[in-house]
Order: sequence, then C-alpha cells, then structure tokens
Amino acid sequence: MHRRDLLRYCASALAGVTLPFPAFSAEAGTPGYKCLVNIFLFGGNDAFNLVVPRSDAEYNTYATSRQNLAVPQADLLAISPNNPDGASYGFHPSATSLQTLFETGDLAIIANTGPLIEPTTKDAYLAQSVALPPQLFSHNDQQDQWHTLKGKSPLNTGWAGRIADLMQNSTQDQLLALNTSIAGTTLFQAGATSTPYTVSVNGANTYGALDQGAQLGGARRTAFEAYLDRGFTNLHARALAEVHQRSLNTADKVNQALALVPQLTTPFPESSLGQQLNIIARLIAVKDQFAMSRQIFFAATGGFDTHDDQNQLQPGLIQNLSDSIGAFNAALAEIGQGENVVTSTQSDFGRTLTSNGDGTDHGWGSHQIVTGASVLGRRIYGNMPILEIGGENDATGGRIIPTTSADQYAATLASWFGIGAEDMDLVAPNLSNFTSKNLGFLG
Amino acid sequence: MNLSNLLGGGHMRIAIWGAILCLLISCGGGGSSSDATTVPTPNPSPVTPTPAPTPSTPPPSTIEPAGISDSDGHRFLVQSTMGVGRDDIANLQAVGYEQWIEDQIQMPASSQLAYLLSRPEPENNFLGQADRIDAWFRFAVQADDQLRQRVTFALSELMVVSDASILFDTPRGLADYYDTLSINAFGNFRELMEVVTLHPAMGVYLSMLGNEKPDTSRNIRPDENYAREHMQLFTLGLVELNLDGSVKVDSAGEPTPTYNQQIIEGFAHVYTGWTFGGSINFSRPSFNYTVPMVAFPAFHDTGEKRLLSGVVLPAGQAPEEDLEQALDNIFNHPNVAPFISLHLIRKLVTANPSPAFINRVSLVFNNDASGQRGNLKAVIRAILLDEEARTITNETGGKLVEPILRLVQLWRAYDASAASGRFFFPQPETFFAQAPLRSPSVFNFFSPNYAPPGEISNQGLISPEMQITNETTTASTHNYLALAVFLQNSSTTDLREDAVAINIASELAFANDPDALIARASKRLLGRPPSDSLRLQIEEMLTQIPANETAFRVTEVIHAIVTSNEFARQP
Repeated sequence: MHRRDLLRYCASALAGVTLPFPAFSAEAGTPGYKCLVNIFLFGGNDAFNLVVPRSDAEYNTYATSRQNLAVPQADLLAISPNNPDGASYGFHPSATSLQTLFETGDLAIIANTGPLIEPTTKDAYLAQSVALPPQLFSHNDQQDQWHTLKGKSPLNTGWAGRIADLMQNSTQDQLLALNTSIAGTTLFQAGATSTPYTVSVNGANTYGALDQGAQLGGARRTAFEAYLDRGFTNLHARALAEVHQRSLNTADKVNQALALVPQLTTPFPESSLGQQLNIIARLIAVKDQFAMSRQIFFAATGGFDTHDDQNQLQPGLIQNLSDSIGAFNAALAEIGQGENVVTSTQSDFGRTLTSNGDGTDHGWGSHQIVTGASVLGRRIYGNMPILEIGGENDATGGRIIPTTSADQYAATLASWFGIGAEDMDLVAPNLSNFTSKNLGFLG
Repeated sequence: MNLSNLLGGGHMRIAIWGAILCLLISCGGGGSSSDATTVPTPNPSPVTPTPAPTPSTPPPSTIEPAGISDSDGHRFLVQSTMGVGRDDIANLQAVGYEQWIEDQIQMPASSQLAYLLSRPEPENNFLGQADRIDAWFRFAVQADDQLRQRVTFALSELMVVSDASILFDTPRGLADYYDTLSINAFGNFRELMEVVTLHPAMGVYLSMLGNEKPDTSRNIRPDENYAREHMQLFTLGLVELNLDGSVKVDSAGEPTPTYNQQIIEGFAHVYTGWTFGGSINFSRPSFNYTVPMVAFPAFHDTGEKRLLSGVVLPAGQAPEEDLEQALDNIFNHPNVAPFISLHLIRKLVTANPSPAFINRVSLVFNNDASGQRGNLKAVIRAILLDEEARTITNETGGKLVEPILRLVQLWRAYDASAASGRFFFPQPETFFAQAPLRSPSVFNFFSPNYAPPGEISNQGLISPEMQITNETTTASTHNYLALAVFLQNSSTTDLREDAVAINIASELAFANDPDALIARASKRLLGRPPSDSLRLQIEEMLTQIPANETAFRVTEVIHAIVTSNEFARQP
C-alpha cells in the first residue's frame, strides 16, 4: 500500500467509516492462525525452586543441596501429573496461576532443558569427550545459544528468524513481520532475509513532529521520507534509515488497528511483563486486519540473576511470571485464540544447587514452562534431574547437565508452528544428534 | 525492584509526551493564524543571550599549529567531548590537538557527589536518582573537563553499575562511583581496577560485598558473580586476543577461553570478606556508599587460590594481599591491552577500527614509552591522535552517536539551560534507551560487538548502537529531539522553569537567509555543510514557513539536522 493511500485509510478509519486494511484473503497464506510467544527470563531463572520435589526422599535430597535456599516442603503447591515418575512435585508457593494451568491441562513442564550440541553424560563432560556449547555459564553466550541454537558455529540468526525466513513465501501477504518484539531488538528474531519488528507496550511509537496533526507535520514527514529514500553512502547511516522507514511505514497501521478493537476485559499485572503480554494479546486480537497467519512474539523480563537475596527476590519474580501467564491465557480465551497460541519460557541457564550464602550462581540445565490450550498439559516431559551435589546430573558444583536440549524444545514448537521435518535442521541445527525429534507436548 | 517498576510507567510517558508534542506543535501558530505565538520574544529566563558572532570572523588565535580546519576540528571534538560548544573549535584551533588534550587532562574533575551535596536544604535531604541525572547532564553540557566527561561515560559503559537494580535508592553512592571513574579516567588502569572493585556500589551490584568464605557443611561456596563479570566484561573478555584485537585460534581453528570455571572459583575465593567501609563488624554493615569497602579477615577464605596464567596465591594471606595480587594477575594478562583499547576506540572514534589501529593503541597500553603499563592518559592520546582517527572514511567508517549523546550535542551546540538552573530530566531512557548508570544489566545498554543482521553483519562488521535502535526507539528519540528544539528554545514563551531551552537568539537574524541559516546550523551541529540530500529536505521545509515566523524557521532547520542520519553518525 502506498503511504498516501495509507494515510487516507487511516483518516477514514479514525472517522469510523471503514477498516483500514484488507481482510485476510482465504486463498493466500498459510491456512489457520498459529502464534508462538516466547517469554525470556533474563539473568538465569532458578527453576529448581519453581518446580520442586514434594515426596520425602526427593525433597530431602533437594533440601540437603539447597540448604537455606530450599522452599519449605509444606509450602509447595501440589501438582498431579498424568505421567507420574514415582516422585511427587509442587510449584513454588508464588506460582498459583501456573499450578492452576497445570492442573487444568493447559500447562506442561519441560524438565531440565538447556543448550546442548549432543547428548551429554557426566562422564563425557568430565572427560571432555563431548562437544559443548562454548562459554557455558556466561550470560550473554548462553542467551545467544537459546536464541540461535548455534552450538559452536558462527550462526548469526535466531531460530525464530530462520522460521520467518522459511515461511517467507507462505506468509508473503502478511502486512506485518512474522516476528514482533515487545522487548527490543533480539537475536532470537534476527533472520537472514526476514526482518523483525518492534512495538512498545502501548503499541507503535509514532513521530510526533511528523504527525498530520502537528503544524507542517505532513510536509515534514514527506521531506524526511524523501531524505531517507535518497539513500546514504555510509552503512551505519543506511542501517538507521531502514529502521526509520520501517517505523514510519508501520506505526500508523498498527495503532489504527489497535484503536478499532476494545480493550481486553481481562486484567493484567501492572508489571512490564504483564503489559507486554497485554499488548501481545491485543495485537493477536487484530491479526486479521494484517492478514496474519503466523506470528512469533518476544517478551522478556529481567532480575533473575539472583546471586544475592534470592529468598527475598524469588517470590516476586515467580509471582510476576505466574500472574502474567495466567492473565495472558485468560485474555486469549476472551478473544477466542486459546487454541492458536503457545507460550513458552526460555532463560540464560538454570542456577547452581549450591548456595553462595544468600543466592545462587550460574548453572546450566533448568525447567521450562509451555502453556496454551493446544498444549498436552498436566505432564512433565523429559526427566527430572537428581538434585544431588556430586550426583549423576551434576556437572560440578551443583550445575545440572541438561537432559533435554534447547534444540529439541525449539523443534517441538517449530513443528507445531508448521515447519516440516525436511527443514527442521535449519531451525534446530543440533537436532540430528538427538533421538527424539519431538518432545510431544504439542501432540 | 525491576527496571519497569523503577521507571514508573515510562512507556506511558512516551505516549503523553508524544501527545503533548503533537498538541503544542499544532497549536504553535499555524500559517493561517495571526496570533503569531511563535514570533520571537526576548527570553524571560536567565539564559544568557548569545551575542551573534559575525559568521566569517576567524578565531582569535594568532597561530594554528595543526592547521585544523573547522570540519576536522569538529570531528575531533565529537570524538573527544560530549558535544561541540560554540567556541570549542576556535579554542582547539588555537592550541592544536596535542595541547588541547594536555589542557583537558590537567583540568580538575567535576564531582557529581559534590554537586548533589551542595543542593540547598531541604532538597539535599531528599536526593534521588533524578538529581544524579541532573548532575550528569549539567557536567555533560556545561563542564570544562569535556574530555574527562567523555572518557568517563565510556568507562561507565565498561565497568557497569546501574540504578535499575537494588541500587535504585543510592544516588550518592552512584554519583560517587561515577566520580571514581572520572578521577581515574586518565590514571593507571590497574588503579582503576582496584577503586572500582572496592567501590561499595560495585560491591552491591555484583555481590562481592558481603561475600563470605566457604562453609562446606552447608554447601555454601563463594559468590562467583564479580569474579566472572570482572574478567568477562571489565578487563579480559572470554577468549584470548592478539594485540590487534583479533581472536587467537589454536591449530584446530578454535578460540582459547581466557579462563575456566576453576579460575573463576579462585577469584571468587579472593573476593571474600569485604563489606562497607566503616562497618563495626561484618554482619553490622555501615551502608556507607561513598567510602571504599574494607575487609574482615574472619570472613575471608585463607586457602590457596588458582588464578590466571598458572599463578597460585599461597594459603594464609590477608584479604588485602590476595586482592592486590589477584588484580595484578588480571592486569598483567595480555588480553587487557587489546580489550580496553578496543572498547575505548569503539566508544570514542569508530565501530570498526583496523587491526593496525588497535595494535598501535595496545602497544601504548602495554608501554607508554616510559615503561608504564596501563597509562590511560597515554592510551587516550594514542587513540585520538592516531592517523586512523584523524582520517575520514566514508562507507564503513565512524559510528552511530549514542542516542543520549545526540541530545547532549544539541544542548552544547546551543548553550542549553533552564530558568531553574537545573537539568531536570529524570528518565531519559524512555526516549533514548539509555541513561547514565541505568543499564538493564551489567551487559550495558548494548553489546560492544553487536552486528545488525544484513549488510553490516554480512561484511563481518559491527554497529553496536544499532542494538538499541529499533522502530520503537527511533520514534522516541525523534520525539524528544523535536521537543528539545521546537518547544524548548529561547523564543518559546511560557517555558516551564525546568525546561532546558536551546538558545537560538543569535540565529534569528538569519531566519530569512536560507543559505546562511543552513550554513550556520550545519556548521554548529555537523561541522560541515549538510549533504545535498539534507539541504534539499531543509530547503523544502523553509519554503513552507512564512518569513515572519523567524523562530519557526530557525528551529525547523535545527530540527532537520539533529534528526538527520548525518547527525546520528559521527564520521
């Protein structure tokens, strides 16, 4: 759509006359609507305190390792998995919404997941006879591993970006990028040929001085866009210009669409994560105005690097995550999209079982959460690790070796999203090293 | 407390500011209006009117030792200051690059803490981070020690502490931390390592403060946070480097990690036993954030400690001995020179320096010609005087100006100030995605190695500031720059007392001489004429603004330049 047409559409939309954008065309695009929402927990979430053994033997092992950081056994919120492994488990007492979602079958726990290149035993780890992701225990490197699944390769795209690359033909009628971030630029969504988009929790930021309502705003916008269009010899300036152009070309469309739908009645937490998930739900509600058939959203929240004061900080961190996910699932039900959206967590790494006095340090494997009406929930996928310092899952120092790989996790999500087996090694490059190509939590 | 709570609905503020901006601009005297609200009026605020200099008057110097052109001088000052003030180029031309650097180094350091403590009562009893940000802008815009301000800002993005953390209510402590960086900006890097390590703000931020010796009976071992991030982010990086900044690879083509988990644990044991200075005992901390931490030997691990390069600290040493020797161990690692040199080059000059440039600076870091290692003054001189820094490269050269520095550059160029005398701008990050000592984590606002996907990444190059340049931030940055130009200038009536206004009085006389108007603004902001493309944009706008709207015409030109891509990139 030409920009001037767009402005005209916007003006008429403002007057409530017509929708600004063509409706979804049935013969184009990928059939059905599917959406992945990735919540990244920056800093390294201590999920060994999020899902905790309740049965005495396993709890005692956990409590012996965790010492002053152990969640009291009596406080755990009991869950009853449909696939019991002989032990019993519970959520952290602040995770009431997660417990409810689990028990109603809309949430699954993916146990002890993390970046791996190939299956890794403790013996192989200690003997250094197994390929490992470089710079284990380093925040940014392990965030990058989760985002890219690159292992030792120099891959500089994210797996969501590669999904968008692979789906470029089938989603070419989409008026917004397949990938949208509410949490700023992320490598997770960087593609080789596709380009992600960012919005704020209030929708798209607009350029006030270039607004039709500003004095000379229209003329100023035309002049500025012509300046951008004339191009730049320097590549930094060119990169900046491309962002300006995407921002200017898209913001009004997004805000006009959002203005046409009522606010959700589901209340969200006031937290940043709550507000990020709120705008994601609203953007999903207007997906048809952009002919969206496939979308991946990136949301994020920080503060999980609990080296200090873990017992004071963790309840708030977990409650925010739990309440925000609870609200998001309720909002999806409100707009009738529960079946079409799968929300999953990622985090830098898990944390050491050992304490540094009042907190934990950088670990490796950790539990993840997957939720949505399509999830085969009320189940724990993969194997719960033995939470014993020096035990068979402990690399050293209470850093637990993952038994499910981030590639398997991503591939399961990507498969549901519509990536075929023939393309899966492009999304999850290390998947071929693992026997199970699909963890089964999405059928 | 997380960032979003701390910022108190920052995104909403963007929306509100955006609405205000639209409203005010559209009310600001339309072409059909004759109430002429934009007719320039004498500025009622104490902003000192700038006497209009005659455009062609040469600087009052008798010699130009370096024969520095205006554009070269401007380019140098964009690298070495927070922004180019009205008289800065002339002053530089009068003394030349080397003497200018020397003069700057000799200037006493501005002190944020002294400024905070000098606030009148009762305000000084209720200091907040807004006062610290005020101090930062004040010195960035008005202080004479501009080179120090610029280098300090670069260091604050290397050895990161942040008020988006448990430090949210410690403005004095963070001001003192910034002062600590500032005082040591031209000193020795080894000393900088030590004062940073012992600063309680860092101690709290990366949890070395209160870190205890192991208690194996309770599975308690020392906190690894500071040990890890200090080496990864502040001094060495993850992999071994050559002097020219390139990554060393082994025979299999694999990089060599700089350290392993055992070495991290060795340093974690070193960093035990320290708490706030002036504490009665370890468990009764003073919470004094403005004196260095002190050690309590009973809480310090006394075992052997394995460090870098095969060094093992003997058992039984005092905490101070362990610390001295551990910091020496890091300081003498070969990575420090290229790691620090590259950081400073990227912050001051260019995102993609040649290996030869990095190599030259690293050599100076390792030996300043008098045999001293880590002489930051010599390193800064070497960077700014390097032939590569002094040569313009067009297609891939330079770097994006950090977003918040674009505002400071505007404010310095036009002597911005507020009637209240303050720089009250508590949450610049809502517009610029950054604010001093307010990074989301110790990893700074953006990675020093960030390569945006596309042609930059494909060429193996980087553009770090692009990591915080997205559709959301380009709009918010544009909005604040528009506000700062159109709504807060010396011709604006009814300015709020705290509104920081640019002084455009000297420009009004040229409002109807487009060539002069454009030449003056672009010389002030860019140090050179605008590109033909930018000139076209500006001329197009000027044709639409009536002749009597002098302030509007002036600000339209300034706005176009400060929101242009040629202002956003330093050449």
